Amino acid sequence: MSQIDEAMLIALVDGELDEVNRRRVERAVADDPALAERLALHRRLRDRLSGHYAPVADEPVPQRLRALVEESATVVPLARPVARWRGWAMGGAIAASLVLGLGVGRMSGSEAGPIGMRDGVMVAQGALGRALDTQLASAQEDAAIRIGLSFRRKGGGWCRSFDGAMAGVACREGEGWQVQQVLPGAGTATAYRQASSADARIMATVDALMDGAPLDASAEKAAQSGGWK
Amino acid sequence: MSFEGELLAILPRLRRFAASLSRDRADGDDLCQAALERGLKARDQWQPGTRLDSWMYRIMRNLWIDEARSRQRAAKTFAPEEAGLTVGHAGDRDIEAHMELSDVDRAMQALPDEQREAIALVLVEGLSYKEAAQLLGIPMGTLTSRLVRGRGALLELMGEAA
Repeated sequence: MSQIDEAMLIALVDGELDEVNRRRVERAVADDPALAERLALHRRLRDRLSGHYAPVADEPVPQRLRALVEESATVVPLARPVARWRGWAMGGAIAASLVLGLGVGRMSGSEAGPIGMRDGVMVAQGALGRALDTQLASAQEDAAIRIGLSFRRKGGGWCRSFDGAMAGVACREGEGWQVQQVLPGAGTATAYRQASSADARIMATVDALMDGAPLDASAEKAAQSGGWK
Repeated sequence: MSFEGELLAILPRLRRFAASLSRDRADGDDLCQAALERGLKARDQWQPGTRLDSWMYRIMRNLWIDEARSRQRAAKTFAPEEAGLTVGHAGDRDIEAHMELSDVDRAMQALPDEQREAIALVLVEGLSYKEAAQLLGIPMGTLTSRLVRGRGALLELMGEAA
């Protein structure tokens, strides 16, 4: 019998041996049928164990477990210290004039509507464009458009969520803001207030786009001073 | 990906780990649920950029250890002295349930906790020795000796000893 102990044998099975030791054990196993049998036994044990529990990871996760996590995805952010989300729901009296500007095109007068089309994509303009450019979530008590979360997008660039007559998410593209999603906002009517900022659909968009965590107040300020570059 | 998104992605593996620690699948899902609840509550303590799976494995393992300890205490406190043969079982119903378990479940259940968690992490979850030792907070040498003893016991319990 060689000096290969049980620990070496199972380390081979577990893929934990470096090249030199692996060769050493394999050579010893080749010369020693008893050792080879022991090795086969350990391989079978590992296969049997992992095979026994593998179906648990392959079958669908029970709904009650999924629901725990999914509910948290829409509820927890409201309770988090990021008070901006909560602030939205209390949006309060939003300038009714904004509602007139909903949708594509221009309002009467010189002011553009909040969303326009450029090269086939929705872009923020007018009051919404200005809010996305300059408004800080930490200082917007009476603003008609409220900024929710500002965050770094996967693959780079900045995005901000907003609420007001409309709620949605816009991401920085060049010098402007491309609107990724827009829904009726908290500002349109009292009855819909709850439906916008806390809307699971907006949360889902934020979750899908966001790399890491939302910016805190100072990081948001820095990004804004840097022109969202 | 968001915390929740990542958690959903690793959920199948968390369930599997819970199953390998627990007596049966139902107990495993209860453990999994408790771990999810605790993880969601403590989400601010998780450092983004670090491994969420390791963090959740650790939470689950700690819950399981706590629960195992209180179960053992209860068994010691309440088992009648003459019930020498059934100490550790809650009674007939428990023994019946026990008999429906597969050889693997039964053998895993018979292992001491510290061997069982090492086996579960390395053989079932496929963690490296280094990852498993770190997660359990033990030196590598301790981990490997638990793996050797645990495997020896499993082979014997499953009737496969050479």
